Amino acid sequence: MKAKTANTPRIEPCRVLLVDDEASFTRMVKLNLEASGKYAVRVVNESPMAQQVANEFKPEIILLDVVMPEADGGDVAVQLRQHAITQDTPIIFVSAMVSLKESGSGFYESGGEHFLAKPVSTELLSSSIDSVLAKRV
Amino acid sequence: MSKAEDERYEVLRIDNIDNLEQVDIKHSYHAVLLDMRIETSQALQIIKSVGAINRPVALLCLYQNHAQLRQQQEIIPQVDDFLLTDSMAEGELTTRISNAIYRHHKEAQLLSEQNLLKQLLENLPDAIYFKNKQGRFLKVSETMNQIYGFSNSQEIIGKTDFDLFTPEHAQPAYDDEQSIIETGKPIIGKIEKETMHDGQIRYVSTTKIPLRDTHNQIIGTMGMSRSVTELIEAQDQLEREGRLLKTIIDYALAGIFVKDRKGCYLIANQRHLRFLGASSTDTVIGKTLFDFFDQTEAEEINTNDMAIMETGEGIEYRIDHQKRKNTPDLWLLTSKVPFYDKTGNCIGLVGISQDITSQKEIEFRLKSVIETLETTQIQLIEAEKLKTVGRLAAGIAHEVKNPLAVVTLGIDFLKKQLADSKEMIEVLDDMQIAANKANHVIFELLDYSSPHEISMVPKSINEIIEHVRTFMRHNFNEAQIELHLELSANLAAVLVDTKKMEQVFINLFLNAISVMPKGGKLTVSSHNETMQQAGSNVSSQMTECFRIGEQIVVIEVKDTGIGLSTAALEKVFDPFYSSKSTGKGTGLGLFVTRNIVDLHRGLITLENRKLASGVCARLIFPTTSKNESEDCKYPQN
Repeated sequence: MKAKTANTPRIEPCRVLLVDDEASFTRMVKLNLEASGKYAVRVVNESPMAQQVANEFKPEIILLDVVMPEADGGDVAVQLRQHAITQDTPIIFVSAMVSLKESGSGFYESGGEHFLAKPVSTELLSSSIDSVLAKRV
Repeated sequence: MSKAEDERYEVLRIDNIDNLEQVDIKHSYHAVLLDMRIETSQALQIIKSVGAINRPVALLCLYQNHAQLRQQQEIIPQVDDFLLTDSMAEGELTTRISNAIYRHHKEAQLLSEQNLLKQLLENLPDAIYFKNKQGRFLKVSETMNQIYGFSNSQEIIGKTDFDLFTPEHAQPAYDDEQSIIETGKPIIGKIEKETMHDGQIRYVSTTKIPLRDTHNQIIGTMGMSRSVTELIEAQDQLEREGRLLKTIIDYALAGIFVKDRKGCYLIANQRHLRFLGASSTDTVIGKTLFDFFDQTEAEEINTNDMAIMETGEGIEYRIDHQKRKNTPDLWLLTSKVPFYDKTGNCIGLVGISQDITSQKEIEFRLKSVIETLETTQIQLIEAEKLKTVGRLAAGIAHEVKNPLAVVTLGIDFLKKQLADSKEMIEVLDDMQIAANKANHVIFELLDYSSPHEISMVPKSINEIIEHVRTFMRHNFNEAQIELHLELSANLAAVLVDTKKMEQVFINLFLNAISVMPKGGKLTVSSHNETMQQAGSNVSSQMTECFRIGEQIVVIEVKDTGIGLSTAALEKVFDPFYSSKSTGKGTGLGLFVTRNIVDLHRGLITLENRKLASGVCARLIFPTTSKNESEDCKYPQN
């Protein structure tokens, strides 16, 4: 464990909650993000469990899939934003249903929401998370 | 009897009655003198044989005295005269015989004339009457009795016209008769309408003259009436039919005309006058078509008419289109039939011609609407196809992108783990490129399914071509393609969605680049045109899309590639069709291009160039006036 310095402002890895029903996808995201050492990723594959896990995990940012079989991304987001613990936690929607025009580089804002288009590279994933969190500080 | 034997008379004396039959009294003698001293029965027998009435000879009876005469009074009415021998004066016998013969002769004459009058009154089929000054019937004919329902002449005698007719006829008839009585002037052959009390009406031709006595004084009137009811009714019927026919002809919603064998007009109604351009019937009757139309047109119709009259074969419902200078086109539905006289000779033709121009115009408009509907339907089907592709794309996106995401992240992970092995990294790079290509296909699909607002503004297509050239310059240079622009300086504006229209040229240029792998020349030209009637360079597709006379803009994009096969040309606009090798194209480029062109109410065709190798893509758009702007925004789907 390194001491807190100007170059390494964070000691603890950033807590990322990943809600997506595709287990293979969540495994890959977790693997890649945690490999960098910058992030601690908690995975939720059953969307109705998202709030419960979030309450306990207290994520700094939430990656939320849109199309899911039980509660979809929209429903989950509404729930999270109503809860005291998660109401201020930024959400990035990760969706396969995004067109080329909408996505541009793959990460974009629309209607005040952040979106990432699947498939997404580790690099873009990481930079997107950083950019959203940086805006909040 | 010796007194009678005057030298003036030839006398035959017959004493024995039996000898009477041997004598032809009727033809040989003027008078028979019967001595009544014979038996009464014998006398009656002789009277009978000489003839009681209508005998040709006079019959006189000789009595002794008045007492004898009184005993045979029944004989007196049957003889012409009687003589009393006891009181006969000198010469009286011959005088009396002579008088009797004269009287008998006169009576016979009167009787004969009476008979003639009787025959006349009993047998003539006309009503004959004699009236006094007050208009009362004095005598009428048998026919008159029958006509007016009287069983014999006596019933009508003393009656007046007012008894037989209603005042409608009785009064004027009475006035006429009074006038005749006053002036002595006859009325000859006057047609009178007799109105009976029972409502029956008769028409008669009447001649009335003054009735004069032997002193030539007018004492009344006499007349003769002949029934002309049937004639008048026939005339009425004819007149009614004539009027009916005239009304039908005058007010028919079609031109009606009759021409004689030479083509001269006998009848032409108002509508036909309009067709001829004539102001009144007078200026048409007796004239021919040559008086109204130019030689060629008149000749054509006239030849036709003559053929109808010669062959006897008419025409039915023929549609004629007449084009004339200075007047709008006319469409006519015409029927003509030959017209025959009683003996079957063709004496002309009858024609009816309906102006169906407005119906034709409606038909044309309807046809145009149907064509528009058909086009719209095709467009709707195309749009629906696109939507289906969109829905499909959304499904595919979800199902394909998630695995692609796993692959992409997996490659990322492995690349970090195997960073030392150059070979491994190369393999992983290839995998990443492959995954990216797969992803790109899905991106394109999603693009066409996502809702997009379009905004149409009037713009020159030249501007769009120039703009696309600017940002594709690099692509052309890289592919060693020489770009030639031959753009019309005054190209008309077209209503366009700039972004969409740019997409059209990007797609066309990318296609061109892909078909010229070893470089080449790309020529882009633009010019204004007016939509012509079907001709050499106008396809049926064009006439369906554009109105004749419409201003259009034509843009041609010609490459110098190897061209396309016939099969490829047929399918080139279908989605997912690509002539490029697998992996080099999505097959959506031209499909999308055509949809964008359709959105602009344009037409795109692709064909192999005729004078050089390569493909010519031709785009046609309707022009817009500079000020016109379609501000309305509507979603593409």
